[in-house]
Order: sequence, then C-alpha cells, then structure tokens
Amino acid sequence: MPLLPKILWSLVGVLGALAYGLAIGGIIRKVMARIQGRIGPPVWQPYLDLGKNLSLRTATHHGVMSFIAPIFRAGGGIGLYLLIPVVVGVPALENFSFSGDLLMAMYFMFFGSLGMALGAAEAGHPHSPIGISRGLSQMTAYELPFALAVVALVAQTGSFSIHEIVAAQQGGWLHWNLIQNPLAAVAAFLAFLGMNMYAPFNIVGAPQEIPVGPPTEFNSQFLSLLMVGRATFAVAKMVLYMDLFLGGATSLPEAFVKTFLIYFWSVFVGAVFPRFRTEQAIRFFLGWPTVAGVAGVLLVMLNR
Amino acid sequence: MKTIIDDIRARFSVEWEHEQRADLAQIGVAPGTVVPLLTWMKLHTPFVQLNHLSVVDWLEDGEFQLTYLLTDPHGHRSLMVCTRIPREEATMESVHELWPQAVTYEQEINEMFGIHFPGSPRQGVPFILEGWDDLPPMRRDFDTVAYMHAHHPSRPGREHVDPRVYVGKVFGERGYLHDDD
Amino acid sequence: MEKRKLPVLPVAAPPEGSRPHAPLGEGCFLGEEELPKAPALKEALATIKNWFRAQSLWVMAYGTGCGAIELRPLTTARFDMERFGMAMRPTPRQSNVLIVSGYLATKSLKRVIRAYEQMPSPKWIVGLGSCTINGGMYWDSYNTINRLDLYLPVDVYIAGCMPRPEALIEGFKYLMERVKKGEANGWHHYLENLDWYKANQKKLITDWNLPDYNW
Repeated sequence: MPLLPKILWSLVGVLGALAYGLAIGGIIRKVMARIQGRIGPPVWQPYLDLGKNLSLRTATHHGVMSFIAPIFRAGGGIGLYLLIPVVVGVPALENFSFSGDLLMAMYFMFFGSLGMALGAAEAGHPHSPIGISRGLSQMTAYELPFALAVVALVAQTGSFSIHEIVAAQQGGWLHWNLIQNPLAAVAAFLAFLGMNMYAPFNIVGAPQEIPVGPPTEFNSQFLSLLMVGRATFAVAKMVLYMDLFLGGATSLPEAFVKTFLIYFWSVFVGAVFPRFRTEQAIRFFLGWPTVAGVAGVLLVMLNR
Repeated sequence: MKTIIDDIRARFSVEWEHEQRADLAQIGVAPGTVVPLLTWMKLHTPFVQLNHLSVVDWLEDGEFQLTYLLTDPHGHRSLMVCTRIPREEATMESVHELWPQAVTYEQEINEMFGIHFPGSPRQGVPFILEGWDDLPPMRRDFDTVAYMHAHHPSRPGREHVDPRVYVGKVFGERGYLHDDD
Repeated sequence: MEKRKLPVLPVAAPPEGSRPHAPLGEGCFLGEEELPKAPALKEALATIKNWFRAQSLWVMAYGTGCGAIELRPLTTARFDMERFGMAMRPTPRQSNVLIVSGYLATKSLKRVIRAYEQMPSPKWIVGLGSCTINGGMYWDSYNTINRLDLYLPVDVYIAGCMPRPEALIEGFKYLMERVKKGEANGWHHYLENLDWYKANQKKLITDWNLPDYNW
C-alpha cells in the first residue's frame, strides 16, 4: 500500500479507535451503574464529557512539561495503536505494524506514563506525585509477568514481529496462544488487570483517597487530551492482547467481539473486588503471575 | 465511688460533692487544689484518663467554672473535678504535663473564653477562628447579634419571631397547645 | 379550624455605627448577566458548547455545611445524579459546579473563594439551603455569613432547611436548563465586578492572606 493512503487510513483508524474507546468507557460506566442498582449515565456520556472539556477555558500555567504531559499521554496511546495490526490481511487496518516490533510496542506502553509522571510532578499538587509514585511502582510490578509472557510467545514463534505472531496462530481457535501456552496467557491476563487500573488495582487514581491522582491539576483541554489518550490506549492494549493471545482478527466484527471480551474481563473483575494497596499489588504481581510467566517460558523451552 | 471521694477528702479539702449516678460523681475544689489533686489521682487511683476539659461562664457570679472529667477506663466510672476561677484576668494552672492532650483543650478554651494557661504551649495560637479581633466569642458578655449586624449584612425582608413572645401569645398561660385552639 | 396567623415581630434595628445592610440587588448577581456580543459564528459555536456543558456538569465534592449530607444520597442508587451526566470531582480544576451546601463559616469562605477561582470558566455556584440565602437558622451566629451573593455570584438557590435530594435534582435540572440557554453567567459577573466582590470579601475576612486572584 502506498504511503499516503496508508497515513490517511491510519488516521481514520485512530479516530475509530478513539470513538470505540470512548464508547467502551460509557458502557463501563453503565455496567458499573447497573451492578450498583443505578440507572447510570447514557452510553454516550464520555463524548459529552469530552465535548464539555473542550469547551472550557483554562488559565493555568504550571510549566512547559505539564503542558506537554497530556500530549505524551495521548501520543503514547496513539503511537501504540499505530504499531499494532488491527485486522490482519486488510492493509488499511494493519497500521504501521512493520515499522516496529513487539519491543517497540512495549516501550510505547511505558511512554505515556513516563511523560505523565514528569508533567504531573511539575503541576505541583501533592496528590499528583503520590499517584505517580504508586502508578509507576505498580507498573514496574505488572510489567514483569507481562514481559515474561511476551518472552514466552516470542520464543515460541521465533519472531518479534506482531504480524508473525498473529500468522502463527491462524487455523482455528486451538492454535491460539491462549490454548497453546496457557501459562503465559494467565500471566499476561493477570498483568492486564493492573494495566487497566480498575479495582483491585485502582490505587493510582484512588477515588475517595487521593482523589484523582496524577491528573489532579489538569483541566479543560488538557483533560480532554488525557481522555483521548486513555481511550486510544485502552483500545490499543485490547488489540495487542487480541493479536498476542486470541489469534488476531480477520474482520472488524471479530475484532470488536474479541477486544470487548478482553476488556470486560478487567471490568467485571473490577466491579466486584475491593482495592489493593500498592505494596499488596506489587506482592501480587511478583507472586503467582510471575510464577506463571516463568513457567510459560519454561514450557516453551521444554517443548523445543 | 464513695470510697474514692472519701480518699480524696482525707487528703484534700473538698468544697462540695454530688453523686449523680453510681458511675458518675462531681466534686468541687479550690483552684489551687486542682493540679495536686489531679496529679495524685493520676498516680494513685484508677482515674488515669482526662476525657474532657470544659468551661461554664457564670457571668452573674463573675466566675468561670472549669470541669475536668476524669475516667477510670477499666471500672467505667467518671469523676468530674470542678473549680471556679474569677472572670477578670482569668488564669488557671495548666495540666498539659499530666496529659498531653490537655494542650488542645487549653488552646481552645484560651481562644473561646480568654482563659490563660501559663506554660501551656500553643496559647494564643488560633484554633478555630482566623483573624479574630473581638471578645472571645463564647463569653456570655459577647453580643453575637450585635457582632452579626456589624459584620454579616442580612438580606432585607427577614422576619424574626421571638420565641418567648410567640409562645406567650399563642399558647397562653398554659404553655402548651390544645386541640381547641 | 381557620388557619391562625402567626404573630411576626420585626428584627431589632442594627446598632449605631454598624455596617448598613446592602439593599437587595445592589451590585449582586441576580441571575441576569449579558455576555459581550460576539461574531455570529462564535455565537453559534457557543450554543453548541453550552449544549455540551449542560449535559456534563461536574460537581466539586466539597461540603461547607450540614447540607453536604444531602448531596451524598445523590450518588446512590435511589437518586443517582449520574444519569444526568453529573459526577463528583474532587479537584476544583475539573469541576464546573460549586455547591455551597448550607451554612458558610467565614473561615470556609476563604477556601470556597479559593476553590471557586481555581475552577475553569464557565463555572456555576449553587447555593443550597436557606443559610446561603439569608443566614437560615444560623442568622445570628458570629462566624457564619448571611448572604452568599455578596461574596460570590450564585446562579441557582435551592431553598429549604435542608432541601431534600429531590429538590436538589430539581435545582440542578433548572441549572442545566439555564446553562443550555446560556443564561447562567454568574462567572462573567464575577470577573466584571471583581473589585466589588473582592472589597466585600476583604471587609469580612480580616486576615486576608490569599492572592488577589487564585489562578
């Protein structure tokens, strides 16, 4: 595919991912409300929130880094999305998946949070650094099982290319890595709980405690950029997991169904669990998920 | 309860005593007796906990009454040690060396009643009020309505019903409302 | 039985030399404020913006008085304000509505002013309970204000002591309606008459240690 149409298609894909991510946010709020016996907001509420935040005026100035932080955050989400093929075999929806391998994608997952950490610290509100320190320590903890799962998959496939990992899983659901290497899948899906920051791993934002955590000082347009970053990042993570474990997708409806299931795994867990403290979360991730990850790597090694 | 009061009587001069319940009694002592009495009680009796320190303003008598509420945490009994100090230049010995939490009570009393506790830390440090420059507001000679009129403008049109007059007019001499009214 | 008329006595006149009562409407925001005229395109854009703003009111989770206890039920299953797109935000930077819930001590007023000025415009204040209107049952207290509109522009009052959560929802719906029509412009009145508001605030708060405007 020539470059120019590819760029255009990727832009369409990013907008689509944004729309999908916001809609999922709305569905989550609705689901949570129904679980709590409430009517809940309309499903399109995140769009309204985004529009509202865009139509507010801001007059704050905390420094250059805090202006750039939301861009980092949004850039991390969009960049990750652009590196992952959404539907394999449809060139328009494969994004720039050959430009970077799985390691690059893993770097992009860190990228947004690091930028956010710098910016939120500069904003100066005490809640921001508290949230940041909690978030980064939790991130470091869940990164270990996730990295182990990725190592297992890469060793199994013999390639760092997401495209080839997807290609190796074609030919029926029994070929999916979820079945082929269940231990790595367990490690990665437990790490996914931490990645999405729903309960029991929502100490970062910690409502009722350090109210919203890192974005405390961000308002109006900055907040809407953060919302954009969050939505696209969520979609990118789902697509990455779909590609790694559920055999990718060959059509858009299939992609929707699979990503939806992946995401709601963490939402339903979050709806019924209380919250871990940071040290408990770290102990959890360095416990069984890491053991499962190591066992997944060993499984691959023994099977060779 | 009786035994502990008898013990106190044997050692200190008690002005009056009143046993309110089986687990609650009050004694009145002179201001100079308070700190020796409390020290003795903390060291030699089960009443080791200072639960509260409160003030009553007896404006007509020209006195403040300070009440130290001591509790026996295991026997579930309380003893109130009351003392009266003159209202003018009101000063009282501090008990913060016996109970560190007394600092907060003394700070608040200092702010709200203007009683001075020499030696107690945080005397004069604002506790609740900020930028207060009038009489201590809990003193009974402080006129809240006049202060309100001077500082907080009201919305015109507010009607005020004086409870005393209202009750007299409506309920008559009986003081209560009857079905026939 | 005919309804008895209650005997009503006038309030005693304020003592000599005290600050005269501000007549109703003198300098206060009474709910009507014209925004400066803008080009037609901008006006049309403002209509769209107001439509968004009205449906996503984020409430500052800050209770100044006992009325805050009536705010809590709004988040529960029985009343559920989230169905109107309203949510509690714990930081003024992300809030649009500040609820002064009940009596307001002069000490809290400082914090309320600070929170209000930190909110991004446009922003709205809801005065909850009769305490914000005329002092309520704390009218003769030495440390609670009697009229909120002398210090901050109030867009919607919800009368009562305390108003029930249903009344609150009704008030919020009224606020949404006004926001949608672009009528609730108390924030603009505050900026235009900043000197008047600041003079009132400084007259009351004797140990003024805030900046002149909290960005």
